[in-house]
Amino acid sequence: MTNIESADQAKQDSSYREVLTELLYQLADDDFIVSFRGSEWLGLAPHIEEDVSFSSITQNTMGHAVLYYQLLEELGEGEADVLAHERPPEKRRNAIYLEKQNGDGSYLDEPYYDWALTVIRQYLYETFKKVKLEALTKSSYVPLADAAQKVLMEQTYHLAHWKTWVRQLQDSTEEAKTRLQSRLKEAWGEFLDVLELGPKANDMEKHQLIVAESVLQKKWLEEIKETLAVIPAEPLQKNKGSGRNTEHTQDLTQALVTLSEVYDQDKNAVW
Amino acid sequence: MYNFVEHGGKVTENTANEDPILYEQFMARIEAGEKIEADDWMPEEYRQTLIKLISMHGISEIMGALPEKEWTPKAPTLKRKLGIMAKVQDEMGHGQLLLRVSEDLLKPYGKQREDLMQDLLKGDLKFHNVFHMATKTWADAGVVGWLVDGAAIISQTNMLDASYGPYQRALQRICAEEVFHAQHGEAIIMALAEGTEEQRNMLQDAVNRWWPALLMFFGPGSASTTGSSKQEVTTKYKIRKSSNEELRQAFLDKYLPRVFSLGLSVPDDTLYYNEGEKRWVYQQPDWNEFKQIIGNNGPRSKERLRLREIAYENNRWVRQALAPYPAYS
Amino acid sequence: MGEKHDGSGFYQEYEVFSKKSDKAPLQHQFSLLAPNEDMALSIAQENFMRRENVVDVWVVPRSNIRSMTSEERKQWTKRLDNKDYRTTKGYGYLRKKWRDKEQDMLDEKEILSWKEVKKG
Repeated sequence: MTNIESADQAKQDSSYREVLTELLYQLADDDFIVSFRGSEWLGLAPHIEEDVSFSSITQNTMGHAVLYYQLLEELGEGEADVLAHERPPEKRRNAIYLEKQNGDGSYLDEPYYDWALTVIRQYLYETFKKVKLEALTKSSYVPLADAAQKVLMEQTYHLAHWKTWVRQLQDSTEEAKTRLQSRLKEAWGEFLDVLELGPKANDMEKHQLIVAESVLQKKWLEEIKETLAVIPAEPLQKNKGSGRNTEHTQDLTQALVTLSEVYDQDKNAVW
Repeated sequence: MYNFVEHGGKVTENTANEDPILYEQFMARIEAGEKIEADDWMPEEYRQTLIKLISMHGISEIMGALPEKEWTPKAPTLKRKLGIMAKVQDEMGHGQLLLRVSEDLLKPYGKQREDLMQDLLKGDLKFHNVFHMATKTWADAGVVGWLVDGAAIISQTNMLDASYGPYQRALQRICAEEVFHAQHGEAIIMALAEGTEEQRNMLQDAVNRWWPALLMFFGPGSASTTGSSKQEVTTKYKIRKSSNEELRQAFLDKYLPRVFSLGLSVPDDTLYYNEGEKRWVYQQPDWNEFKQIIGNNGPRSKERLRLREIAYENNRWVRQALAPYPAYS
Repeated sequence: MGEKHDGSGFYQEYEVFSKKSDKAPLQHQFSLLAPNEDMALSIAQENFMRRENVVDVWVVPRSNIRSMTSEERKQWTKRLDNKDYRTTKGYGYLRKKWRDKEQDMLDEKEILSWKEVKKG
């Protein structure tokens, strides 16, 4: 398979274009929902200095989503802002685990947000993101390979940051260990969804857009084993369903209502 | 970024017990434009004034992140979401800088970050009046960025030559970032001002609601208004240069023409510019209400303090886990 | 637990330094609070250098810094203005001497321009 250099070239092969857009939606929607959850944390982190650093990571992550939405825009999917704000849950491809609320309450009212959930989620996600990005640098779609290369440049810091948090908390008090373990157990029941590439996975591999799921998953598991003190014995699952299959929970609905509240007041206005 | 110094409290104003020679040397240093550092000798009144001013300034930044944060996840486009995140992050960052300055001043009393947070939650450490107000619509996020930050820029640039070195250096960093904040706020309100009728109405409504709080921002004109004034002390020690009223006039000078140029009005029929005296004449805000607001009885005081309290209590296990002294287990 | 078990031990002071470019010297930025040096390093860059280039960051526990005290600053940083012999200022008369011999002065500008010499 030869490389596809541009959106125009991709559009000439409808099967290639379809599989490519599927992959891009997964990438964009994952980063977008993760950064939305991050933006809810703003001002509420365990200490001020961490709040500032975490926000940079959140901004970077939303910046990555924007890059993918722009690639979709070039492929004729519509404007990036429309893709981010208007698509209903049944069109979203992000993994369900990533849409999970940060804890009890809302960011506006009684936010009992759980730092253990955030540390585990961010760590597991950023580890997989790195594995995926490294694979994407060899994608047959050159604009995506280029984007992956750029994202990797700053994403390495994100992963290092969350790795520091995991390492330190799992090596501290009993309470911290217990909290982390329970969030890890919960993640184990849902994270398979994140690791999957959805119904078009085989075509993605065939078009050399990205390597097979099994390759990515194996690499991810090897990576996390180096950091996590305890790995659950059970097999990974997706017991809340498959976001890649556009299945979602109420948590995504809450997120979409919030993030599009102002946008929805007048979709045609300039904001 | 926000400070007035009028809210009273327990500043010990007592220079009588100071060593007169040290005091004279100290005053000579600041008169000569030298900067005072944290471990230099300083009059107790100076230290107390700085602690009150900078702690309040710092904690106001932290509390000030919350009103705009309400609109951060809701910002209407990807670009606005990113812009407002960066802006609110800066507010937290400014809080960080200022609290560090304050914490070093508090060292002789054995107090640290933890104590400042507790003082805030107990109601002993006040935060700025504007951050007790509700942010009802997206236009409020714009008005806060534009006019509240505008007022803050006026008051902070006035202290860029402050005699206390660590504060002056923090303010240099902060004011550099405020330039971005000002333009961020202008971008939001410009889109609304040039937008649909509904957007324009939303903006005018926000300006109307924020007007009294903006006038209050600089504090009362004189001690007689609220019964206590620290402004003379801050000018005596070369921490700031101008009075509350001078700063308020500077704000009106710079911003009112811009408000009017956008076709907006302010809710004060009596407002006019007195050419002879070169000053704006305006309807005084209700200074009793001001006292209520900064006494944590403003429209959103309790809710915002509650957010901080939850963030503080709910994350205690994290701080305990990583405290270098093995926590109780 | 004597030392407060409320988590206040979490707040250790670190001074942060950074380099803007390979050619630039290390510069002090500000201080931050963190529970240990790894965490301090992980948050330093985004706290103080969000908008500028960085090629290196140092974090140093404040307790490890021996700085001048207030008194020492006053006493040790003052000097007599009689040290021209230590700078080019004390040798300015050479310019005229060399000019008389139809030679240029090898001043700072000239010497620092000698990065390259003829090849071969």
